[in-house]
Amino acid sequence: MSGDLRKQLEAHAGLALIYEEAWAEIERAETTAGLEEARVKHLGRKSQLSSLLRSIPELPAAERPVVGKFGNQVRTVLEAALAERKKVLEAAELERRLSRESVDITLPGQPFPRGHLHLITQTLWQIEDFFSGLGYRIAEGPEVETDYYNFTALNTPEGHPARSLHDTFFVEGKPEVLLRTHTSPVQIRVMEKEDPPVYVIIPGRVYRRDSDATHTPMFHQVEGLAVDEHITMGDLKGTLEAFAKSMFGAEREIRLRPHYFPFTEPSVEVDVSCMICSGAGCRSCKYSGWLEILGAGMVDPNVFGFVGYEPDEVQGFAFGMGVERIAMLRHGMTDLRMFYDNDLRFIKQF
Amino acid sequence: MKVPLTWLTEYVDVKLTAAELAERMALTGTEVERISHAGLPATGGNLDRFIVGKVASRDRHPNADKLSLCQVDTGAGTEQIVCGAANFQAGDKVAVCLPGGLLPGRDEPLSAAVIRGVESRGMMCSEAELGLSTEAEGIMILPEDAPVGGRLADYIPLSDEVLELEVTPNRPDCLSIYGVAREVAAITGRKLKPPPAGEADPRGDDRIDEIISVGVADSDLCPRYGARLIAGVKVAPSPPWLKARIVAAGMRPVNNVVDITNYVMWTLGEPMHAFDLARISGRQLMVRRAVKDEEIITIDGTVRRLSAGMLLIADAEKPVAVAGIMGGETSEVSAGTTDILLEAANFQGRSVLETSMALGLRSESSTRFEKGLDQELVPQALAMASRLMVEIAGGRLVPGQIDIQQRPFLPEAVPLRTDRVEALLGIAVPVAEIEAILTRLGFEVEEKEDGLLVLVPSFRADVEREVDLIEEIARVFGLELVPPTLPSGMRVLGGLTSGQAVRRAAVRALAERGLSEIISYSFIMPDFADRLRLDPGDERRQVVALANPLSVEQSVMRTMMLPSLLGTLAANLSLQNQDINIFEQGRIYLPVPGEKLCDERRVIAGCLSGSLKGHSWLAGGGEADFFAGKGIVEALFASVAGSFSVERAEETFLHPGKSAAVIAGGRRAGYVGEVHPLVLEAYDIDIPVVAFEIAEAELIASSAGIIVFADLITYPASFQDLAIVVEEDLPAAEIVKVVREAGAPLLQTVRVFDVYAGGSIGDGKKSVALNLEFRSADRTLTDEDVASVRAAIIDALKDKLNAALRE
Ligand SMILES: [Zn+2]
Repeated sequence: MSGDLRKQLEAHAGLALIYEEAWAEIERAETTAGLEEARVKHLGRKSQLSSLLRSIPELPAAERPVVGKFGNQVRTVLEAALAERKKVLEAAELERRLSRESVDITLPGQPFPRGHLHLITQTLWQIEDFFSGLGYRIAEGPEVETDYYNFTALNTPEGHPARSLHDTFFVEGKPEVLLRTHTSPVQIRVMEKEDPPVYVIIPGRVYRRDSDATHTPMFHQVEGLAVDEHITMGDLKGTLEAFAKSMFGAEREIRLRPHYFPFTEPSVEVDVSCMICSGAGCRSCKYSGWLEILGAGMVDPNVFGFVGYEPDEVQGFAFGMGVERIAMLRHGMTDLRMFYDNDLRFIKQF
Repeated sequence: MKVPLTWLTEYVDVKLTAAELAERMALTGTEVERISHAGLPATGGNLDRFIVGKVASRDRHPNADKLSLCQVDTGAGTEQIVCGAANFQAGDKVAVCLPGGLLPGRDEPLSAAVIRGVESRGMMCSEAELGLSTEAEGIMILPEDAPVGGRLADYIPLSDEVLELEVTPNRPDCLSIYGVAREVAAITGRKLKPPPAGEADPRGDDRIDEIISVGVADSDLCPRYGARLIAGVKVAPSPPWLKARIVAAGMRPVNNVVDITNYVMWTLGEPMHAFDLARISGRQLMVRRAVKDEEIITIDGTVRRLSAGMLLIADAEKPVAVAGIMGGETSEVSAGTTDILLEAANFQGRSVLETSMALGLRSESSTRFEKGLDQELVPQALAMASRLMVEIAGGRLVPGQIDIQQRPFLPEAVPLRTDRVEALLGIAVPVAEIEAILTRLGFEVEEKEDGLLVLVPSFRADVEREVDLIEEIARVFGLELVPPTLPSGMRVLGGLTSGQAVRRAAVRALAERGLSEIISYSFIMPDFADRLRLDPGDERRQVVALANPLSVEQSVMRTMMLPSLLGTLAANLSLQNQDINIFEQGRIYLPVPGEKLCDERRVIAGCLSGSLKGHSWLAGGGEADFFAGKGIVEALFASVAGSFSVERAEETFLHPGKSAAVIAGGRRAGYVGEVHPLVLEAYDIDIPVVAFEIAEAELIASSAGIIVFADLITYPASFQDLAIVVEEDLPAAEIVKVVREAGAPLLQTVRVFDVYAGGSIGDGKKSVALNLEFRSADRTLTDEDVASVRAAIIDALKDKLNAALRE
């Protein structure tokens, strides 16, 4: 407070009293509510100060300027003090409130449950994404299929011994209709419809009449087919090597073992180096260091004959893999049947 | 195919261990399932403890009547052995197990023991103890030529590594020891020894064709039929070496005649049959197709009723064998048999396969014939078998032979363009190497101007074309040498089709909303239609049924997804799993009259039985009711930027008041609704379930595809709320429709945000509160703009729906 004001207040005892009292109450206020009370009391419309300022016209002429000037000065000073005090009290109150609001941060958060895609779907998508990145399309075809597409056109005519390797479900009343035993018939359907070059993969459900610890009557395959002018066995090997690395890790290797399938020639089975023991030998790979992952080969010229391709003008490769096997190897699963038990405790793991 | 290594090495002097050989075979196309051990354990010098001994003396055991005390010459000295058997005498040669020897199937080696006060240092073994037969009558007496003191395993093949091969159906030649030896010689570069040869000398002045007449009526199914006659055999147990071979191959010794036919089959791959000549009625055999319902009792004692067309061999009265599959009981060789007709034939593979499948009867013989065998094996097998009969069973080979052949074998000549090898494999193989490989495999190769001309041997009928030859070259040359490459010059585009992308988006949307995906079998139990209360005329009762299902539970292809979902839900409930909210993407299979194949439609279907919000200490989860289901269907369509409307569904399996048909693009796309309580009861489900099924094609069709930009920013929207009172049963969709029509074009969206009945609203009435969004693409709307549209909307509501404005 300036010395000038003090002097004037001393000269006007009433104003001084008002000032002292108001100042003290502002300083004493411990809550914003108390402060508000003090404001109403000392600065409100009904306060002594307001009354005094309102009564100026009635004062003796000599007092009017003094009271007028210094009364307003008192008001200004008190308002500033009030604001200052309010800020302090508000800060303290906020702090008190926040400290009261503390929660048990160790309790769990609000759940936003998500569902899970079946492991087979996740694996299928991964396989599809790999091959579509290489330029393959995804083709589909019927699961209830004719004998012709499932066997005959795949160079497995009636009476062929390879037919007995497939335990086939047949449709009642239609001896030539069956549940496809592999996704390979879609190869034929694609080639019948399209001229080369053809690069497709064919994912889907397949069926074999077999049910035990290592077989389910329905399972999934992804078939691959590449037909072009100069496709070689080396291309098959390179493609599958890239696939194996993509699915099982960059350090994986593959090897081709000659095998027999009626619709490819030469035919191979493909092993990937064991991801569990890195090839050193373990129980999973029966101590061979290798795990079989798929069958493949160069498309047999007879198959081209069935679809009207000229066997001397095109060549190609085909491969087929069991999706369950790929998923089991990747995730260390041992029981195939779990895929189709559909126990949510299994499905929600992935 | 079990291949005992010592048997194999009779024909190829392979220098590899069993494991090394198995690896080499695997990499050249013969899968070795496992390597097992047959007979005496071979580790730790065990085979040195089994030797040929000679009983020097046999005396009564001093303290036991039934035991004898023997001194046995073991070459290196004489051992005292106590023996309980009675079938031997001094001078006999016997199989001696010395202390420390481990018998097959035992845990502990034999030790020297004191038996009734007398020391016994070893044991004279029975055939059963050595694993050569199942019953043991006394100890094994060895033939006179057994070398005393020699290792028993060198005299009898008692201990063997056995390669168990999985032979692919194109290689029936490898269903024989000699065929495998040929393959092993080719892949290891070792020399193949000649096939077992050597004829027995025929004796006597009779002739086979004077004794029996043989005819082939159906030579299409029997391209070659051969037979020989052995007179005066003595049926007896086989010598030890033969028993050991038969056991190591995984068969059971029977008697010398049967064992010889099996031994020849295993060695050469040609199944044989021995008839008792005396029991062939009329001394005549005919190979012919069966007529309907002819019967035969096969040697396994089963009566087989044959269908017309099955190939059989018959004597003057009756069938005596199902050709290539199994012989008949009446002409089976027995203990009293003296004259034997040995058969070796070539039967058509397909005929054998079909008959074997139709009869449900498979044998070592049928599994070979069904793959198509080499005709040239017929005389080879007959020669080998008749020699062994004479040597082992003491018979006389009757002069002459039967050999009825449709046409003689002529090798196919297959041209091979050597440049095609590199073109197909992606690696160059030198021509000299090609020739060497093919020659080792038994092909004859001639060089021609434009490549090679390759003659295919009789045992490789699977090789017919150039590409087959290239495969042979590739597998022996080594696929590990082929360099990995990627197809060059690809001129195609890959990736998902828009439909496939939509499917993924939809499935993802469901998973993000909390539904988990199941995959269930496409075949279900036929009673689903009753459980779902489908009307008798409901077309979903028409199913594709399986002719040979594994069980009735998996016998018809599903025509809807709900049965699979409810079954899975019930199973999870019984597992105490909670919040079972599941979906499946898959096909339904609808028969099409007059068509071979059915209509396979992809659908996405699901059911909810629990909270999608989870459970926590914060708040409980919310019910799986109609609106939860509808919300999921809304999310499904939103995920593909599609839309749908609903109509009341009339599905017998849904709650009549809480179910809707989903309509998209004017077509029925599926349903959503609470499952009928009686259906839940039929599936043993005791909690409410809401289900949906949406046809994927309709979902894809409803997808907007690429979303076209609309400016929602430049001119802000104006919002108004409106509450009206209408008849309680008036569907909200009708209100929205009226509002939309009256509010066009400025009205952009209408949202129902409250529905309330009761209280002050009045009986039979409800209050519906709407939130309206107005927007113009080219200016900011004024209050007057909005007020006039709002007034028009209110008028229309009053007019058309008799709605009152609620203040
Ligand atoms: Zn391993």
